[in-house]
Amino acid sequence: MERPLKLPVSLPGRREPHTLAGAYAMDAISAPDRTRFERHLVRCQECAQEIASLREATARLATATAVSPPPDLKARVMAAAAMTRQQPPATATADGAARTGRAGLPRAAARLAAARGRPARLTVAAGAVAAVVVLGAAVVFGTSNGAMRQQLHQAQASSQQVAAVLTARDATMMTGAVTGGGTVTIVLSPSMGKLVFTAAGLHALPASRGYELWLIGPAGDRPAGMLPLGSSHMTGPVIASGLRSGDHLALSAEPASGTGRPTTPMMLDLAL
Amino acid sequence: MTTASPGGRTPKPPGVREEAGPPGPAGLDVQIGLVARGEVAAFDAVYEQVASSVFGIVRRVIRDPAQSEEVTQDVLLDIWRNASKFDAERGSATAWVMTLAHRRAVDRVRSVQKEAERERRVATSEVPYDEVAEAVESNFERERVRRCLGSLTELQRESVTLAYYGGYTYGQVAGLLGVPTGTIKTRMRDALIRLRDCLGVA
Repeated sequence: MERPLKLPVSLPGRREPHTLAGAYAMDAISAPDRTRFERHLVRCQECAQEIASLREATARLATATAVSPPPDLKARVMAAAAMTRQQPPATATADGAARTGRAGLPRAAARLAAARGRPARLTVAAGAVAAVVVLGAAVVFGTSNGAMRQQLHQAQASSQQVAAVLTARDATMMTGAVTGGGTVTIVLSPSMGKLVFTAAGLHALPASRGYELWLIGPAGDRPAGMLPLGSSHMTGPVIASGLRSGDHLALSAEPASGTGRPTTPMMLDLAL
Repeated sequence: MTTASPGGRTPKPPGVREEAGPPGPAGLDVQIGLVARGEVAAFDAVYEQVASSVFGIVRRVIRDPAQSEEVTQDVLLDIWRNASKFDAERGSATAWVMTLAHRRAVDRVRSVQKEAERERRVATSEVPYDEVAEAVESNFERERVRRCLGSLTELQRESVTLAYYGGYTYGQVAGLLGVPTGTIKTRMRDALIRLRDCLGVA
């Protein structure tokens, strides 16, 4: 029914593992077989090259299935990336590979090994609070649908500052609940003394009032900015700067023009 | 790179030897290099170039839309996280990305299978390409892949389709097709070599 291709003549005794190259390149291989084959790959440079070339072919099988992902995926990915630390370049004893006993694998294989062992932490970041999505969207590509547009417009001037905070080496994310309803998400960079603030589900205020942010701590209590007015579910991003150690982030409802000191009870208390 | 491979190139794949197609997305490898340095704008560009392909193959393998989206997100974050590990000397950026995507999709399917011994729709193989109305890959590329798949023997084609798109191991494929595993292994390899040559890649 078909004309079998000839196996290479020059490789006596190695034929058995070689025949797994196709299955391996398609990930059509059980875990034990995979391990065994990867052990073989370490010693067989030719095999590694063949795998690489076969993967150029399987990559085309993949790209032929291309279909647009849901439009909101990008915002989530960009936001999650902004909060995800990157791996340093691989060194001779490739990081993850050495630990799992795969040292010496061609980098391509080690890379896969490392990718497989990726911790679940990312998913946490990825699934992060909805507010972060707005953040990511605002920062990174500045286009979006209706409700976000207004905030984005307001955010535009500071989008680079926002990006700088999100991508800071020491950026960390915190969330808090607002008394009376709503969730706050912040990304904080102590080294920059800045935080990026977003909120979701805040109670709507009369037009004459607005939410004001405060930094409260040993260095004194300082107003840290008004939240953009708007009726949408999501609020922010807003940047607060001048953080000092021991500060708390607080929120209160004030006259829309803002005040120099809080006149109503605080609705949020986040220790930074 | 391929001339030294043990399989070598098939001397003349019967019928088809296409002109090399348009190269992969221009500069993807360069962009990934920039991503490795933490450049968000480059990651944005990479997203634009690969997201639909990643989502396409992940969805093709996993089927479930919600899970596919989740895995796609993981893959894209993997690119961000591990961009520094991409090595252009070992293959194209497209191959690197698609390998990550496919591997992760397959791993997801298998872990789910392990958990639930879930019954998987065996009809896997024939989701026609055109099923997806909103497909973005150019007709040209798609047509080319289809034609090259068409140049395989039936057994080769079924092996590749079940393995790559269905996420089955070669052992499972052998079972599904009622063919000895040794045969399936060699057919898979022969098939990919022929596909590679037909597509003019590598």
